[in-house]
Amino acid sequence: MSGPQKPLELILARNLVTSIATPAFLVGRDGTLLFYNEAAGALLGVPFEEMGRMEPGEWIGSFGPFDGDGNPIPVAELPLTVALRDGRPAHANFNIRSTKGEHHEIAASGMPIIGKDHGASGAIVFFWPLDEDRARALATGSHEVSR
Amino acid sequence: MRVKIWGARGSVPAPGPEMNRYGGNTSSVEVTLSTGETLIIDAGTGIRTLGFSLPPDMPRINILLTHLHLDHIQGLMFFPPCFRAESTIRIWGPSSPEASLEARIARYISAPLSPVEVRELPCDVSFLDAPASEWKVGGATIRAEAVTHRGPTLGFRITDGDTTLCYISDHEPALGAPLAQLEPEWISGYNLARNADLLIHDCQYTDDEYPGHEGWGHSRVTDAVTFGRRVEAKRMLLFHHDPMHTDSFLDDLHIAARQKWAELGGDPAQIEIARERDELQVGPAPAKLPERASAPADSAQAHAEA
Repeated sequence: MSGPQKPLELILARNLVTSIATPAFLVGRDGTLLFYNEAAGALLGVPFEEMGRMEPGEWIGSFGPFDGDGNPIPVAELPLTVALRDGRPAHANFNIRSTKGEHHEIAASGMPIIGKDHGASGAIVFFWPLDEDRARALATGSHEVSR
Repeated sequence: MRVKIWGARGSVPAPGPEMNRYGGNTSSVEVTLSTGETLIIDAGTGIRTLGFSLPPDMPRINILLTHLHLDHIQGLMFFPPCFRAESTIRIWGPSSPEASLEARIARYISAPLSPVEVRELPCDVSFLDAPASEWKVGGATIRAEAVTHRGPTLGFRITDGDTTLCYISDHEPALGAPLAQLEPEWISGYNLARNADLLIHDCQYTDDEYPGHEGWGHSRVTDAVTFGRRVEAKRMLLFHHDPMHTDSFLDDLHIAARQKWAELGGDPAQIEIARERDELQVGPAPAKLPERASAPADSAQAHAEA
């Protein structure tokens, strides 16, 4: 057993995220990165299977985020943090850094996942590249970006 | 404990001569605990004939409902103890923020679908949300957890002494998930079923049928068998047969399941397929078995006696 059994809503969220080409990742109640899908992996530069689960400090350090001037964005301001902390949806635009050194400006929307019997069990974050070529590639189901 | 299958069919009753061996009644299973007490899991049409076999003076009847789809509650209104003033019946089922368990079941047991209302039942019946933590019924410890199906659905783990039965009648754990590779913590129902002495599990479709039914909340043979092997069930009973599956079709499905079980390293003798009225001994035999009337042999007789 690799960890305690996840509640059904997180299992279903992962199944959903696995089945779609919208970049998304899933975090647990404490902000631990639990999973991200192939489309997110294409932007982040590495598939989840190679990264595995990461504590908040680890994945924030790996992928940014930072603002247009290159300054780190406080964790407390990330949509994901707001979703977990305040239990409400949140949205923001910012930059992330892939493991290949590429920078992507993205729009990210976080939403808390509330269990039927036990409150918030985590959050799901969908994000979208603001670069038109990358956005078009995602929308057409291709990860190839023409330049 | 002793387990008796009173209905193994899914979706809708499927009577007919080509269904005689496996039966046409929908899900209902009787569990006799080591103390001799009785638990009933699900109230499909199989519970009707089960009810005829229960002694009229049974002090308390406990029913666990996995969910409220009609094939799991349809028999309630024809369950003889419901119509006896001396019966005390406790029904556990999935909770909902929308309405109480009683109110949701009353949508079926009410006009115009029913000639009686829940409040008119002469028995002493109570409707209880399945607790989020373990609870005791008789000598058994019961745990309920939500599992992947359409709508709020529970699986049950029933532990009686050293013996564990897991019942997940409606389950699609491989929906959007690579079941063979997935970490256990991400597998729906894993904790419920782990190391069960007997796992009663959904196996509604063949692998060929499944593509047309993906997302309907049920398992194909490969996924049911893979789940059983992943949780290391000591014995598995394939359940919730599709109403289109005849006796000969289910014979072939069982053969296919045994082959897959063996391919995954299991002993084919560990995997069985549910047949109505089959009885299985799981762990030690109950110390005392309740005296029973014989259940009616066919529907027409049962109806006349009712």
